[in-house]
Amino acid sequence: MTAQMFFIGFFGIAAIWFGIVVFRTFSMVRSALALLFSQTALGALFLSLQVEFLGVLQIMMMATEMSIMAIFMVMFMMDPGGLGEMDMTHQKRLSLGAGIVSFIAAVAVAVFVDWGPGVSVAPDAAQQTVDLGRELLGRSMLIFETAGITILTAMIAATAVAIQPGVNSISSHRQRPVPTNETLDSDMRRNDDTHKKMGGQANHEH
Amino acid sequence: MSIELLLALITGAALFGVGIYGALSQTNLVMIMMGVELMLAAAMVNLVAFWRYLHPDNPAGQMFVLIIMTVMAIEMAVGFGIAIARFRAIGSVEMEEAAELKE
Amino acid sequence: MTTVLLLLLLAFGAYLVAVLEEWATSGRFRLAAPVLAGIALLGRESILPRKPDRIFFEVGPVLLLISAVLAAAVVPLTPDLIMTDLATGALFINAALVYVLVALLMAGWGPDGAYAMVGGWRFLGQLIAYSMLIVMPITAVAMRAESLFTTQIVVSQVQVWNILYQPLGFVLFFIASMALAFLPPFDLPTAKGELAGGVEAEYAGTRLAVFRLGRLALIITLAAATVIFYLGGWQGPWLPPWAWSAIKILAVTATMLLAGRMMPRIREAHLLAWCWKLGIPLALLNIFLVGVLVLVFP
Repeated sequence: MTAQMFFIGFFGIAAIWFGIVVFRTFSMVRSALALLFSQTALGALFLSLQVEFLGVLQIMMMATEMSIMAIFMVMFMMDPGGLGEMDMTHQKRLSLGAGIVSFIAAVAVAVFVDWGPGVSVAPDAAQQTVDLGRELLGRSMLIFETAGITILTAMIAATAVAIQPGVNSISSHRQRPVPTNETLDSDMRRNDDTHKKMGGQANHEH
Repeated sequence: MSIELLLALITGAALFGVGIYGALSQTNLVMIMMGVELMLAAAMVNLVAFWRYLHPDNPAGQMFVLIIMTVMAIEMAVGFGIAIARFRAIGSVEMEEAAELKE
Repeated sequence: MTTVLLLLLLAFGAYLVAVLEEWATSGRFRLAAPVLAGIALLGRESILPRKPDRIFFEVGPVLLLISAVLAAAVVPLTPDLIMTDLATGALFINAALVYVLVALLMAGWGPDGAYAMVGGWRFLGQLIAYSMLIVMPITAVAMRAESLFTTQIVVSQVQVWNILYQPLGFVLFFIASMALAFLPPFDLPTAKGELAGGVEAEYAGTRLAVFRLGRLALIITLAAATVIFYLGGWQGPWLPPWAWSAIKILAVTATMLLAGRMMPRIREAHLLAWCWKLGIPLALLNIFLVGVLVLVFP
């Protein structure tokens, strides 16, 4: 039972446990942060597998991504604190069955296939980074470029979908007419709607 | 067949199972995306384990893991854009199945 | 052994940052003030909010301290005084510092209070702004050093320090470090006078002491990172290496604490606009310039 085996087992169990907590807890923010720590445990698992660059990258990226997921939970979910203890699941037995079947199938494949003699020595971390860099910018340059363009397209698409259509969101200074009594009433009613829809955008220049 | 490889593969399998359970049982778009993230992470663990114990001299394995990380980020970005648009349109991101539960 | 020594130096450095911050805000230089303030904080009653999220409430400040210490673990003070010389040290600093965000989210959401929550989520918006401005200058620095080892990065500055080689990167990294350590004018999560202390508001007693200690450790870790990336680390003419490290780190800390004192707190929308519309193109330009320089002058 070497140290490496112990760390792989420990971080693996931590990742699985946090993954289960994601779906068992009622609080939405706890769910998002449990997913974050599950990914961090996986990053630590990569580090204990001596894959240093990917481990550090996983730890760094997943913290940011899952925190963004946390704020989206707070924006969209009915009960982000979880104090109401609502059960938000459906088709429980089907999904539990599917999960267990896929787990057993994957473990069966892992155990019963002869993977051949494992190589126990990996290149050291600096050499791995150099090799990965050469691979990225040499043989896999096309893949790298395509991934870059895809990221740019996704950013533009997500921004375009998320911007409120119709409201002048590009400029934050909008000329408002001087309010009289009736325009003030209808203005306040209109403000309510836009407030609900936009979640407080640039119109609120107090 | 090294025991560490088996440990890592079993971890990947368990995470994949939890991800499938989550993606199928949750009604909210954000929670479904969490299940998908877990499945992708499980695939990454398997890839890293295979690279480390079977082909450590070929950096293409690490390249594949980088691409999966990229895909995770992109899918989250576009998914949340769609979630914002849907929320603005009908006021919730519940998938249709759970609509009757609210009445 | 080096680990213990470096942790003691980190604690000592945090103490000096507290003294410097007192001097920067009130103009008085009192060497014993942090000890007295610390003892007072530890002795105070620990007030719990009505219905906190216990896990987040307890873990938040501790995670802030842990992430600062982890980031300091890969910073070399002299050629052989480093806790762990990771092969991806420069990237690891950034990875550890992202957990400052997670800590502040926990500290914001945990106490079940409005001002704390607003402070916490504001810091997420701030991270979207500064995050690229930390990573891209680090990329340019690693390009020149052709390595991610922090010791290698310092050694690569033997001829010309990076502040002269890539001044644009230095400016961006300095500003982004101030935003990461939520120093004024970027102190959105703990906006004094606006959010009644924000993320720190609901903490009292020992937890507040841990939070403040984490923040001080974060400031000195960021100053140390600036010194090794841009100011040549331990290199200098007459004094021994550790003396140069100490002088440079304290100078950078004092600059960080003083730089934004007279400026109004920057609005989140403006911070995001400036960082994404001006900062990121400048960071990309910096990478391009450094690439040209590295290829032309080998």
